[in-house]
Amino acid sequence: MEVNVYSIPNCPMCNVAKEFLKANSISFIEHDVASDRQAAKDMIVKTGQKAVPVVEIDGEFIIGFDQDKMEELLGL
Amino acid sequence: MDLIRIRWKNSWVYNLQDTLQGKGSTLAVLVDSINTEGSCGDLALEKPLYEPEILILGGGSAGLTAAIYAARARRSVMLLETLVVGGQMRDTQTIENYPGFASITGDELAGHMAEQAKGLGAQILSFSPIRAASLTDDLKVVETKKAIYKPKALIIATGASPKRLPLPSEELFYGKGIHYCVTCDGVLYENNVIGVVGGGDSALDAALFLTNFASKVIIVRRHNYFKGAASTLEEVTNHPKIEVMYNWDMIDVAGDDMVTSALIKNTITGEEKSIDLAAVFPYIGTKPKVDLFKADLALNAFDYILTDEKLESNVKGVFVAGDVREKDVRQITTAVGDGTIAALNADRYLKQREAAATK
Repeated sequence: MEVNVYSIPNCPMCNVAKEFLKANSISFIEHDVASDRQAAKDMIVKTGQKAVPVVEIDGEFIIGFDQDKMEELLGL
Repeated sequence: MDLIRIRWKNSWVYNLQDTLQGKGSTLAVLVDSINTEGSCGDLALEKPLYEPEILILGGGSAGLTAAIYAARARRSVMLLETLVVGGQMRDTQTIENYPGFASITGDELAGHMAEQAKGLGAQILSFSPIRAASLTDDLKVVETKKAIYKPKALIIATGASPKRLPLPSEELFYGKGIHYCVTCDGVLYENNVIGVVGGGDSALDAALFLTNFASKVIIVRRHNYFKGAASTLEEVTNHPKIEVMYNWDMIDVAGDDMVTSALIKNTITGEEKSIDLAAVFPYIGTKPKVDLFKADLALNAFDYILTDEKLESNVKGVFVAGDVREKDVRQITTAVGDGTIAALNADRYLKQREAAATK
């Protein structure tokens, strides 16, 4: 399972999303969209929104922190 | 003593088995109702049951302080937090009005409070949003996805969340130009004109923070004054990148995929005009998180929970602390004060019950 997190340093809800993954021992790749322009472009094109965090689980995008949706896609 | 949960008229009803066996009345009545209503009963408890002496809902400054005092009173304490501890402190970059710290980040202050509570023995459970609550003088039951809690006393410190801006197109542009977190989404609008709506400290702080990225920040303010701290207002007024539009009200936003302009209306002359901007960050106050308590607790006209001087609600043994209750000043320091009062009175309430039980 591939999990990508598009986030910004010091963004409270980004930290919540990352803490949730860590608490459930799920490894993820983090993309800092504040410094990585290409990642920012990809995220905006794929989601149609300019908002973080975005959690991508096996190609499915979750905008914002949505615990129920994450648990469902991660099979928790 | 087993807890029984039955589905009745599309909601969960809780009762104690010993009540059933002893007096037999309440549950018997319910079972009768279920039969006549034609709903099905579910008498099994499918989740683990925890019975702490004091259960605290919410891990912001009020809840964490209550946990510290309740644990020091040697009570068994559990705290349920929807996300991670910190509450609105987590949304604050720098705190400069909490005594003892000239300047501290919200994360750091929250971390200190949580460590202290844990060190004293309070059990803090993150990512545990509550799904149902049933609160009466005799029985308090709170349910999460994974467990059921039946505390002897309850402290509600669920806090408040930002109010959504009441514009016709708000939902359409949510995340596409309407944003509620400057520290999250502000940087995505580098070199753009950004609007801020609101008149309190949060709006002023947001405007100052956005000057790090924006080419210009426009504060749209309905009145001709601000409610925020004089020192912050001075900084805003003197900032070369910030323009304050007094007596203007934002009435809608427009754009194709993303916001490109806002429609504003003068609150004195009634004049309407469009201003170009790429994003709007509303900071127009908060609303209390009370959805699951509305059936049981007395609220004011704005849904804040009413309490007496002991911070007890209309239900005996249910105390309330922080932004979720009706009060005038909402600061970290006042939330901490509330947490203290609620926890000490919850302990007193338990002592009185214990004394009555031994008589």
